[in-house]
Amino acid sequence: MADENTPHVQAKFFTKQSQYSIPDTPYSVPAAVGTSELSSLINQILKGSDDSVDAGIEFDFLLDGEFLRVPLDKHLENRGVSSEDIVEIEFVERQPAPKPEDSLLHDDWVSCLQGCKECILSGSYDNTVRIWTTTGAPLLTIPGHSAPVKCVKWLSGDGGPTCRFISGSHDQTILIWEWHREENSVECVHACRGHAGSVDCIAINEERDKFVSGSWDKMLKLWSAAAVAEGDQEEQLEAPTKKQKISKKVQTRVPVLTLSGHTEGISAAEWLSRSEVCTASWDHTLRLWDMEKATQTSQMQGTKVFLDMSYSLLNRQIVTASADRHLRLWDPRTTDGAIVKCTYTSHNGWVSSVSWSPVNQYLFISGSYDTVMKLWDTRSPKAPLYNMSGHEEKILAVDWSIPSLLLSGAADNHLKVFQYNDEKHGT
Amino acid sequence: MFRLFISGRATRVLTSSSTRNRMSSKSRSKRKPDQFDFVDKGANDSDSSESEESVYSGLEEEPDTSEEDQEQSSDQSDNDSSDNDDDDDDVTLDDKSGLELSTEQRKELSTASDDELNEINDQRYTGNVKSQNRKQRKQITVKTADRPDEYDYDSSDEEDIRNTVGNIPLEWYREYPHIGYDIEGNRLLKPEKGDQLDEFLNKMDNPNYWRTVTNKMTGQNVVLSKEDLGLIQNLQSSKHPDSMAENYQPWIDFFTHEKMIHPVTNHPQHKRSFIPSKWEKLKVGQMVHALKMGWMKPTKAKTEEEEEENFYMLWKEDEESEITRRYRAHLPAPKMPLPSHAESYNPPPEYLLTKEEEEKWQNMEPEERRMNFLPQKYSSLRLVPAYKRFINERFERCLDLYLCPRKPKIRMNINPEDLIPKLPKPRDLQPFPTAQAIVYRGHSDIVRTISVDPTGQWLVSGSDDGSVRFWEVSTGRCMKSITMETGSLGNMCIRSVAWNPHPDVSLVAIAMGQTVILVNPGLGDKMVTNNTDNVLHSFSPTEEESMGKKVYADWSSIDTSDKRFENGFRLLLQHPKEVSQVTWHGRGDYFASVMPKGDSMSVLIHQLSRRRSQNPFNKSKGMVQCVLFHPVRPFLFVATQRYVRVYNLLKQELSKKLMTNCKWVSSMAVHSGGDNIIIGSYDCRLSWFDLDVSTKPYQTLRHHKRAVRAVNYHRKYPLFASASDDGTVIVCHGMVYNDLLKNPLIVPVKILKGHAISHDLGVLDCVFHPSQPWVFSCGADTTIRLFT
Repeated sequence: MADENTPHVQAKFFTKQSQYSIPDTPYSVPAAVGTSELSSLINQILKGSDDSVDAGIEFDFLLDGEFLRVPLDKHLENRGVSSEDIVEIEFVERQPAPKPEDSLLHDDWVSCLQGCKECILSGSYDNTVRIWTTTGAPLLTIPGHSAPVKCVKWLSGDGGPTCRFISGSHDQTILIWEWHREENSVECVHACRGHAGSVDCIAINEERDKFVSGSWDKMLKLWSAAAVAEGDQEEQLEAPTKKQKISKKVQTRVPVLTLSGHTEGISAAEWLSRSEVCTASWDHTLRLWDMEKATQTSQMQGTKVFLDMSYSLLNRQIVTASADRHLRLWDPRTTDGAIVKCTYTSHNGWVSSVSWSPVNQYLFISGSYDTVMKLWDTRSPKAPLYNMSGHEEKILAVDWSIPSLLLSGAADNHLKVFQYNDEKHGT
Repeated sequence: MFRLFISGRATRVLTSSSTRNRMSSKSRSKRKPDQFDFVDKGANDSDSSESEESVYSGLEEEPDTSEEDQEQSSDQSDNDSSDNDDDDDDVTLDDKSGLELSTEQRKELSTASDDELNEINDQRYTGNVKSQNRKQRKQITVKTADRPDEYDYDSSDEEDIRNTVGNIPLEWYREYPHIGYDIEGNRLLKPEKGDQLDEFLNKMDNPNYWRTVTNKMTGQNVVLSKEDLGLIQNLQSSKHPDSMAENYQPWIDFFTHEKMIHPVTNHPQHKRSFIPSKWEKLKVGQMVHALKMGWMKPTKAKTEEEEEENFYMLWKEDEESEITRRYRAHLPAPKMPLPSHAESYNPPPEYLLTKEEEEKWQNMEPEERRMNFLPQKYSSLRLVPAYKRFINERFERCLDLYLCPRKPKIRMNINPEDLIPKLPKPRDLQPFPTAQAIVYRGHSDIVRTISVDPTGQWLVSGSDDGSVRFWEVSTGRCMKSITMETGSLGNMCIRSVAWNPHPDVSLVAIAMGQTVILVNPGLGDKMVTNNTDNVLHSFSPTEEESMGKKVYADWSSIDTSDKRFENGFRLLLQHPKEVSQVTWHGRGDYFASVMPKGDSMSVLIHQLSRRRSQNPFNKSKGMVQCVLFHPVRPFLFVATQRYVRVYNLLKQELSKKLMTNCKWVSSMAVHSGGDNIIIGSYDCRLSWFDLDVSTKPYQTLRHHKRAVRAVNYHRKYPLFASASDDGTVIVCHGMVYNDLLKNPLIVPVKILKGHAISHDLGVLDCVFHPSQPWVFSCGADTTIRLFT
């Protein structure tokens, strides 16, 4: 095939995707081979063994859990691997490129968003919460807050005629809403008051009966998400009889639990298990809290301000976004100090938000102030899989709650929707 | 004469009379009670009809065995041999027959003889003999009972019999097929040696291989007997070689420890042992007489002082004499220059002076002459006359040496780089802002001033476009914008904004034109903003106080009905002159405003809770540039153009005056500890003052290329920053140690670029984030930038 004089490397290919399995024989490939050549080689092998497989599949190649991004010899040289030995290369089908699908225009900066089934919830700096369909049709614009909305989360959005969601805002309140899908009407059922700063993050537990909120006032508060909870009071403050008639009763809810410990504002929170909550804060720490004992269990020290955090149920790892262009991978199960398992560097600005894939344990997306959203594979720390540009301003929020949609909201008032086809990689 | 004696314990083989005679006393005396038993199988193979092996053993005997024994034994042997006539001649019969022993046999004997361990002197020689003789065997049995006679055999010399080359290194025969010569002069051929394979096979097969050694003299292999091995082992373990020797004989204690009543000897005591010596008596008498006569004097007892003089100086150099020191530090005289060609008796003609030159030389003063002689040419050395000036020259030379002091010149080699203080690397001083993170856009004109709220969530900026904007720090979102109204206020430039540092008060002081406006931004905690409003609203002026005193600034509150109230306006302070700066006291109740053109009223201190203004200074000390409150103590720093004065507000006196050494101070910042301040000046300098140390700058940094507009300290991190018209913000590490003896460490760590220069103005203000190592800067390019 190739010139005899070029250096060759013995390579053995294997895959975990059974439909592409090939015989376990080493191949001699030119050392300077790149991903595309290897890909065509695998295609040829597949074609030879089985006619039913159509050629032209793009593959990605993994050496020791790291993607091949440079020519093979360079990669081996960088990793200090001898090219004399037989190199074992795993190949996986290349992740398909996300396709930009839609752009939803808001009146103001999009600060937060979450998708659920066929609906997208977004919060904006014009104090409103909006509901969109995944196809891009605006369903509702909900004014309710008196200050920019900082976080929105679906409480129950799957099926059912009524969906519930939560929104937190700069006005220090968290509102629990009920959305009647049939009538396309929404009502605020609860107003959770207690924070003395802007509510920056909300996390709902798996049972969907509790949620925690983190705020700029350094407090982590646990609230009940049930429809009726103890301690609910009817809103008395500005709701005289007249208003009551117009809007239904808004009940004030008080926190079940308030945890202090952070020395700066809390920027992100996630439930790790039934009772464990992890929070990321501006004080450079990640803290784990036990919600049943109402104590802090452990702390992981970072070096930079954490702007966002995401926890994957699939691989039980945390990825954090920092105010220093880097994404960091943590394992909350490790007990000894702060161990950053991996650092993902490609952004040029603060990384404002990050989100794991709900179905693939290797993938996550990140949005940055450099206006680019990136799709990452944990096995490729140096370069992201795909860059998704399109925004003209800082990306403030990204979301991957719907497996096939990558969502990003930015300061250019747009919410971009990217189609991502990942059916083949479902784990 | 050759004889063979074989006995159980002692065997003598082949003793020639000559050797026996030669047996020296030395060899005899050297003999040690050794015992050898050599066994050689191979040697018998040729003719081993009966005796499959011949056993010889060398035996030690005491050297003093009697001659009779020998004779007796020889007789016996003679008898025995005579008895056995049928025996062949190979065994000695008598002397002559022994002498006629064929060379072959002898060779055989010698080659078959085993003799190793040359190093042991008294090694016995036992030869191998073709001994098929029955009689002989019989004789053996007879002999075993006998006492051996050691004169029958020779010991050490016998071994040399077979090889007569003498005591020479055997390597000399290495290249020859023979190893030496026997007594007849025939060559002793080297035995055939197998190659390594044979050696290996031998090693594997031969059970005696491990105790087979080679006799160097004969090249034969010798198998060591059990006794030999025992001997060697004894030697190796430093024991007596003879295992039979008795090492521990019973000890006979001659001089017993017991006291005997009788003397060992019974001589009577000699007379002289108890009579005094007469000679000594005479001698003493002489000495006594001499003493009496005074001829002899007793030696004086040494006094203490004399004994003390025994001490000596350990370090003599301390009192080294001048002369020795001069010798030690000798400086050689400079050498005279070597004679040139001109001094030659026969110089080349070009060195000779012409007439004119000579005349000129003559007319010159002796001191001015280039040469102190006239080159002259002689045809031969013989013709050269005596040098007349010789004495003169010697004398001058001596004068030179004597009168010119010589001194070693000490030159210091200083590497200029060593003089630069070693600063730590910036990388080790992290964290500090390194990269631009967020740009806050929205203003339409120069942004002159910024301030961060105490929690670090909000940022307020004042611009020349007459607007004050409030920003969310984390996103760069402008949350609120207040545009000042034109009209009576005239100039719309916002000169200064300052966020109240107290966390429970939500107020921003804005200096615009002649007014200072207190604005409640309504951001942050709602409780705090409401409380602030309530406190301000509930104020009731106490008339008595305000009546008696002069009103420096006109306080007016804004009604809730006013349109401006919606914007957050709460209080207005009308000043007589234009206000350039406002600054809050750390507790948030007092704030000061600066009117550079206010002369004696250039600094006013306002109290928020009582809505009162004070003028702390009666006299103008110059054009006040900026003022600052001490973070913990009641001090006020007032920076005029060239000096910074520190006033004690409680005692109302000047406590310090700092010389800035610069022409025009632009800005000032106080370290959170309060003991260090930095000054920025329009002549590009930044000066650090340590108030505890001096009133002069501790360090002056000239990193900026143009005027320094603002300086600031970080509240928590050891950082300070300076903003300049050259469009850069320089961040420096400024560590202040608690240890008073340790000077502050100042290291420039980062130049932050990003602002564009417009209207010759670059960065106009810089502020640190209260909790993060971030710095905000605002500039003439209408932007505010956050560097993280």
